[in-house]
Amino acid sequence: MSTQEPMIADTGALFQIAEPTGRQATPRAPGRGIGIDLGTTNSLVAVAPHGEAPRALRDASGRALLPSVVSYVGDDVVVGYEAMAAQEEHSCAVISSVKRFMGRGIADVTWPHPYRLVSASGGGELFRVDVGGGRLVTPVEVSAAVLRALRERAEAVMGPVDGAVITVPAYFDDAQRQATRDAGKIAGLKVYRLLAEPTAAALAYGLDRGGRGLFAVYDLGGGTFDVSVLRLHDGVFQVLATGGDSALGGDDLDRALAAYLFTAGGHEGAPSRHQQELLRIAARAAKEALSERESVRVSVAACGIEGFEVRRETFEGLIDGLIERTIRACRATLRDAGVQPRELDGVVLVGGSTRTPLVRAAVARTFGKHPLADIDPDKVVAYGAAIQADVLSGSAREGVTLLDVAPLSLGIETMGGMVEKIIPRNAAIPIAARQVFTNYSEQQTGMQIHVVQGEREMAGECRSLARFELRGIPRLPPSMARVEVSFQLDADALLTVTARELMTGVRQSVEVKPTYGLNDEEIDRMVIESLDHASEDFAARSRAEARVELGRVVLAVRAALAEVGGLPGVLPAAERSAVEMQLTLADEAMAEPQSAADMLTLLRNQLERASEPFARRRMERALRAGMEGKSLHEIEQALAVEEAALDERRGAHSAETIEG
Amino acid sequence: MSAAMNLQPMPAITVTSRAAKVMRDQLARRGTPSAKIRFGIRGGGCTGYSYLFEFEDREARASDHVIVKDGVTVIVDPKSMLMLDGTEIDFETGIRGHGFRFQNPNIKDSCGCGESITF
Repeated sequence: MSTQEPMIADTGALFQIAEPTGRQATPRAPGRGIGIDLGTTNSLVAVAPHGEAPRALRDASGRALLPSVVSYVGDDVVVGYEAMAAQEEHSCAVISSVKRFMGRGIADVTWPHPYRLVSASGGGELFRVDVGGGRLVTPVEVSAAVLRALRERAEAVMGPVDGAVITVPAYFDDAQRQATRDAGKIAGLKVYRLLAEPTAAALAYGLDRGGRGLFAVYDLGGGTFDVSVLRLHDGVFQVLATGGDSALGGDDLDRALAAYLFTAGGHEGAPSRHQQELLRIAARAAKEALSERESVRVSVAACGIEGFEVRRETFEGLIDGLIERTIRACRATLRDAGVQPRELDGVVLVGGSTRTPLVRAAVARTFGKHPLADIDPDKVVAYGAAIQADVLSGSAREGVTLLDVAPLSLGIETMGGMVEKIIPRNAAIPIAARQVFTNYSEQQTGMQIHVVQGEREMAGECRSLARFELRGIPRLPPSMARVEVSFQLDADALLTVTARELMTGVRQSVEVKPTYGLNDEEIDRMVIESLDHASEDFAARSRAEARVELGRVVLAVRAALAEVGGLPGVLPAAERSAVEMQLTLADEAMAEPQSAADMLTLLRNQLERASEPFARRRMERALRAGMEGKSLHEIEQALAVEEAALDERRGAHSAETIEG
Repeated sequence: MSAAMNLQPMPAITVTSRAAKVMRDQLARRGTPSAKIRFGIRGGGCTGYSYLFEFEDREARASDHVIVKDGVTVIVDPKSMLMLDGTEIDFETGIRGHGFRFQNPNIKDSCGCGESITF
């Protein structure tokens, strides 16, 4: 090892004492987190401060649901029931179901809606909605108005809100998630995390406590139906498959019953708008009553219906076809997930219409077990979000171990099997850190991200947490491609690793619980082992570094030979054979796994020396070709512009800690 | 009478009085006169090793090496100690500016600016 032979070297650099890095925690505000179910039709906010049972927050009139409707009539922005009341009169200026527009381009909007959509200036895919009076709003702003109303509701009850967990459908893509995050930010919320709706429902039932399992979530909302299959693995939920029908919801059950009532009242043709509304309200009330009773009497004076009896079997006959459609979607989703119904450990019901006995029976039959339904299905998603928000605000909860610091370093494997630590041991959590990595060769169009935990220098000696591959890295000369790897370790010790190529924006990410299945003795053992093996680890690391460096030079020389080696006058025969001999020696040394670092470094120096005249001539040739007919000033300018452009495309590339 | 102990030389990091004075002044100016200075080696990978030199507000851990000079405490973790053994911390003023200078006998190679080092 090189440290055996001390060598005095003047490093030259002068240092300043820095403020501690990577340790400052984002201050916690236990109990100040809120959970928001941001729905297509209705939204709600719930809290579960300091480990309490979750509860939904109500408005001044005692209503928990807030219709996801925003009115831009006049100068004011009005949200909820009041906005809904204005909808009929001002259909263009009152926006509902904005969730369907989130993160979508104007070309994606293929469903009917009453709004005037305007392409955002600068083309692109984004659009705004013209709400009249010269006012244009983006879907993100509309969502933000709903979120702000919920934030204000929470603040009226509990004072300042620290942050929020907002739920999104499991199938939301990156753009839709980002749009939701942006809406949260505009609404003045720190978005702790976006949570998949089915995962939130599973959390509300505490299904995460089992550590592992397979679950299905049947979510019959007002206007949409979603079914998801979740896998809980090492304490982290993963969505295996989603399915459903975006044009089928609980409202369709009401409509089926309303149409039946209308005909039963002796009417033909279509009801008036007023009658339709009254029928819908009556049908909904009847549906709810029929969940408890065998029969109900309905009166709708405007339609001449007086004390008309609806029996449960009749209602079930009306909706049977609709329920069957949801069941077909469930079967397809189980197939997509590769899961047999008998493998499921539980089924969760979400959405008010799942109170209907026929729905429960159909779900029980399809999944082969009685669904979980003790928690109010209208609120279960918000409850799960509230529990998660409470944990992320820093509250200690039963069954959740809160850590103040990362007990072991977290990093990724780099070329040569070395570990690059991204989050150091003892860093206070929550913490986020990122570092940029480059490509090794031009042929490298993918990057293996191997996430490891531990203090050892070589990845093979650390605990492997996850592996994934980022594909689609553009072909660029060595060290020119830039892949940013970010680590985010949340208060509940969930680690999200994201790799993003900075030029194309392609990204990939994974979530793991680094502390899952790790006890104190093991942590101690891993730390002590790293001290015991410190010298051999450094030796292994030096070897690996020297090998990677040598490999880099070999690649560069080979690439140059292939490019211009054959051109006359660039590489005399004697020089060529010297270079080739060095390449052969390098190949041999690299093929031997135990080659010493000093040996590899020596070979690198020799190869560099042997190829130096060739490299110089190649450079001169390139410069001549580029400079012909240009003034020095022009060349300098061109170089500066190129450098600036490259820098911009690369983005920042030093390791840094970012705000959680 | 027991056999003579085979004493290992204590890992040595020296802090010059000049460096200690600047540390003391900076700790006082920061409003944390009793805080410590953490000195170590960080990293690896494609960025190479680099020095870690920062204020430390917490207590030294049991395994840390503690060096006290003129009332200033410098702490070094045991792993970094392997690569810092024999280092002298000095403070320099000159045309290149003011700053701490590490004379580390373990260094083999350093990059142009001296912030990344190779052993």
